[in-house]
Amino acid sequence: MFETDFIATFTPELLVLGAALLIFLLDVVGVRRLEAFGAVAVSGISLAFLAVVADLGFAPLAVLRTIPAGSVDLPLSASLTAVTSLGLVFQAIFLVSAFLVALASLSRPSGERGAAVFFGLVLMATLGMLLAAVANDLIFLLLSVEVTGIATYLLVGYTRKDARSLEAAMKFYIVGALSSTLSFFGASLLFGAYGGTGFLVLARQTAALGYPALALAGYALLIAGLGFKLTLVPFHAWAVDVYDGAPDDVSAFLAGGSKKIGIFAFFLVFVGPVLAAPALGRWCSLSRCSTLQLPATVELALGIIAILTMTVGNVLALMQPEMKRLLAYSSISQAGYMLIGVVVGTSAALTGTTLQVVAHVFMKAGAFLVVAAVVGLGVGPRVDDWKGLGRRRPYLMLAFALMLLSLAGVPLTVGFVSKFVLFSSAVQAEGWFVWLAVAGLLNSALSVFYYVRVLKSVYLDAPAPSAAADARLDRPIGVGRTAAIAIAVIAIVALGIDPQPILGGIQSATTHFLQIGA
Amino acid sequence: MAVSFVLVGLLGDRLKKLEHGGWVAVGFAGAAMVVAVLVVAAEMLHPSHYSDQSFTWLQLPGSPGAFPNGFSLVIGVLVDPISALMLLVVTVVGFLVMLYSIGYMHADRGLPRYYAELSLFLTAMTGLVVSDNLLEFFLFWELVGVCSYFLIGFYYEKPSAASAAKEAFLVTRVGDVLFLLGIFIYFTIDATAGGGLGWAASGFKFVNGSTPFLAGAMGGSSTLQTVAGLMMLAGAAGKSAQFPLHTWLPDAMEGPTTVSALIHAATMVAAGVYLLVVASLFLGFTPDDRLAIVAVGGFTTFFAATMAVVHPDIKRVIAYSTISQLGYMVLAVGAGFAMVGMYHLFTHAFFKALLFLAAGSVIHAVGTQDLFKMGGLRRPMRVTAAAFAIGALSLSGIPPFAGFFSKDDVLSSVYTAAQSHPAYWPFLILAYATVFLTAYYIFRAFFLAFSGDKTRDPTLPHPHEAPWVMRLPLYILSGLAIVAGVFPFVPSFASLLSIGANGNVPPVFGTTDLILSALSVGLGAAGILLAQALWGNGRVYVLAPESALQPVRTILLNRYYMKAGYDELGLRLVYGGSRIADFFERYVIDGTIRGIERLAARLSGTLRQGQTGLVSDYASYVVAGVVGLLILLLFVAPFVLASVGGP
Repeated sequence: MFETDFIATFTPELLVLGAALLIFLLDVVGVRRLEAFGAVAVSGISLAFLAVVADLGFAPLAVLRTIPAGSVDLPLSASLTAVTSLGLVFQAIFLVSAFLVALASLSRPSGERGAAVFFGLVLMATLGMLLAAVANDLIFLLLSVEVTGIATYLLVGYTRKDARSLEAAMKFYIVGALSSTLSFFGASLLFGAYGGTGFLVLARQTAALGYPALALAGYALLIAGLGFKLTLVPFHAWAVDVYDGAPDDVSAFLAGGSKKIGIFAFFLVFVGPVLAAPALGRWCSLSRCSTLQLPATVELALGIIAILTMTVGNVLALMQPEMKRLLAYSSISQAGYMLIGVVVGTSAALTGTTLQVVAHVFMKAGAFLVVAAVVGLGVGPRVDDWKGLGRRRPYLMLAFALMLLSLAGVPLTVGFVSKFVLFSSAVQAEGWFVWLAVAGLLNSALSVFYYVRVLKSVYLDAPAPSAAADARLDRPIGVGRTAAIAIAVIAIVALGIDPQPILGGIQSATTHFLQIGA
Repeated sequence: MAVSFVLVGLLGDRLKKLEHGGWVAVGFAGAAMVVAVLVVAAEMLHPSHYSDQSFTWLQLPGSPGAFPNGFSLVIGVLVDPISALMLLVVTVVGFLVMLYSIGYMHADRGLPRYYAELSLFLTAMTGLVVSDNLLEFFLFWELVGVCSYFLIGFYYEKPSAASAAKEAFLVTRVGDVLFLLGIFIYFTIDATAGGGLGWAASGFKFVNGSTPFLAGAMGGSSTLQTVAGLMMLAGAAGKSAQFPLHTWLPDAMEGPTTVSALIHAATMVAAGVYLLVVASLFLGFTPDDRLAIVAVGGFTTFFAATMAVVHPDIKRVIAYSTISQLGYMVLAVGAGFAMVGMYHLFTHAFFKALLFLAAGSVIHAVGTQDLFKMGGLRRPMRVTAAAFAIGALSLSGIPPFAGFFSKDDVLSSVYTAAQSHPAYWPFLILAYATVFLTAYYIFRAFFLAFSGDKTRDPTLPHPHEAPWVMRLPLYILSGLAIVAGVFPFVPSFASLLSIGANGNVPPVFGTTDLILSALSVGLGAAGILLAQALWGNGRVYVLAPESALQPVRTILLNRYYMKAGYDELGLRLVYGGSRIADFFERYVIDGTIRGIERLAARLSGTLRQGQTGLVSDYASYVVAGVVGLLILLLFVAPFVLASVGGP
């Protein structure tokens, strides 16, 4: 059963797992240097990324490889995993976010305790994300999500001494456990309705049986369970406390990385189902896919949730005085934008959402990394504490400003491109989807307000006298962190100026994703 | 080459902001001018050459309903004879005005702001000129509008300047909105053409290779196209201050005189004409469009000139003259001779900038803009007086000055068009009448300012000639105002002007043309003589209070009450609107924001209440969400969808 194919198929996953195990091993044998753990993590992630990119580069095929569950020759329907080019795109996205966080964390205080735990857990969480991206079975997907979940619960509380972090970890864990339960319960209802949990089985049975009430109930529970990951309203409440309470780099990982697992899970469950059998005929035309696959009721529910999520996130961010909480609310509203692609379900819409995910990795992870750097300089957590930093740390604040402008969707940043593609796809799809674009545009306008509020504080307000005299503000922020922030900024601007290279790749990946089984 | 030019523009802007003095700005503007001269030289060597370098910024697939071939957003540089000419105008005048500013603005505060804004304007204006597609054009179009707003309001402490800036912004905005509407109509034409045009897929470009993208393809007769063309006219009217959107330009004279010379005489206001030229050649006008354009241009020409006749403010006289001359250009474009309009734009830029800079020199010397306080300035300011005279002669269309050639071309092209379009005749007559008025009002200003022995208001400072940085641009522009008329007789330059449908410009030869020329020169000379008789040698001609002409003067001074009317209308609308807005703000927005604030405060209060309560709260949100979803999916949604006929 363990053939060389198996190894080849899971190269990225195995590299990440290997790096994680190596870190724990080093810890056991008495290595205490943070740099050593960090180097292992960064190189493991980099190698895995190269493996993914190599796969993507070789063949833009819909289904690249599959791994049978039991015997070698089972049909796709019984296979637990399937590697699709869109899945590979998401693996690349996950690895980039993990890379940025690991790179920045190289600049954490050298003697910090728990460094091995930190890097090891980041890698374990990444492993779960990578596995979710190749899932071909609902249970496999939920288990992968759970792997990431457990690793991230621990990550939030790994410092152990900080009461706030522990509190955040506790909240995260309790709400997360509830959500997992709901997800698995939903999966069991789907099993009851359709007699299987493979996405192909679900697709085939749906074609035969339609959507019985049992299945709809299952989907409702899955929306709740997966919506927790993606911080959809009203399953979002944990996110603000957790992002706020978690160590800063962990917040960057949660917002920039692990949350994205939710969007791909939504793709698989609500847009997929991956690998619909050829016998079922051409389900998805290129322009319009979801009417057949996604019952209109679920579509409507998701649309309402999308609008609710972006609005609630933005409205709560408007008056938020604390920087990390403000970014957390902004992150919630971005999840609402991302859901638009799931609802609309066309190739263009999936492209827009994927692009939004890419953008969000750089903008939001980058912004949290800047916050981590600034808090490391001894600046307080409130927006008001950042007054006058624009003059004190011009380059760092320029990076931050670019990230915020990108979040607001200003042209020549990647945030504009992704929103443009996403909203225009909703307009093109016609019908009531247009209202999603309208809501998105109104929300974007609203969000400009609080981003500009931050920029005003940073650039126009005079610093408090105590801060002006504070020499700590001039300390360097470390090579790793500088490099991570620089990469994020370069990506934001470069992709904002010329998005065509990745746009083309994502377009073909989403097109193939929708054609699978056609 | 063109790419490097844009780079210079963009980089220049950055650098200029760093530098306090204006010399950096002058240097970059000079470099831009050199590049522009090279571009023009290259165009002259290769007649009718189109060089389009573009970069596809975004490319999106379409859907069968809208944009069947998908659409792209493109950023590109198109160098063709028209943009090369316009580039030359913008950079030459830009460079000279920058240079002049060193002397003129010397004593002002906020110089970095001034030079940065002026540089940004030049960047935007050159970007507009070389845009290769309609969307990019519109982007830069808006940007020059913003720069104009900033620069009119440069003396923002002065309430009149601030309000003039606002007025300019609002009035041109009317045109801009209609222009945008026109762009959307063109989109619609393309999207409903069954994918045949492929315009959207190309990125809304003006030319496809070297043939116009839309002009031929649309057929040129549909109602939709007529409406789109009228929207282009509206956009141009806003920018080029044509009737009825002309009111902002005289008030824009609140800005520094240098700004008036560059933006509100030579370049930005000409952008409207440029739009019409581009639209005429590449997008295509229907006959109805042309008649509307001729009507607007012809009427504005005369209408604005009448107001210039009585005005006491030297800058506003020239501003009305600008509106009037822009009317000539619009007239020529409407008559079907787009390149004649372009040619008048070219000469006008030089002699009008010259007039403004000479006027600036006068204002710099005596510190007032009131013509009736000046007088006798000829002797202490010989260079300025000579420069103003050259500009005035050129404006009046006296040979051999540049204005004679271009204005004569405009008149004879309208005459040619009127042969086959009788409806054009009234506007041709108005245009001829304007020749007389033009010569009269500009020489009235000249005699009031320069003739006589001494200033009429003894409190004015002793006049002095301007420093060399201000004199040098006057010399150069004087030279251009004299020789620019001869340019079209150089074959390779003439080839720049010979694109488009009526390519055989300039039509200055032949017997009919000679008679027409004699008529226009005669009218011009008559205007000058009348001005000399009434105002020469320091005389001031005072209209008797009981004269029958007195009411006419009052109407003219009050600008036909149009501004007052707009103000009244605006006041009613704005006041009424603002009461609603006030109510809205006080109760709805404030209420909402306070509500949000309170909500946020309460929420964060709740969130901080303690751990156990907190998590169970979150859990209960989740449970409530699940219950809500179940109800929605199983009961509400099927019912709703069934009632609207869904699956």
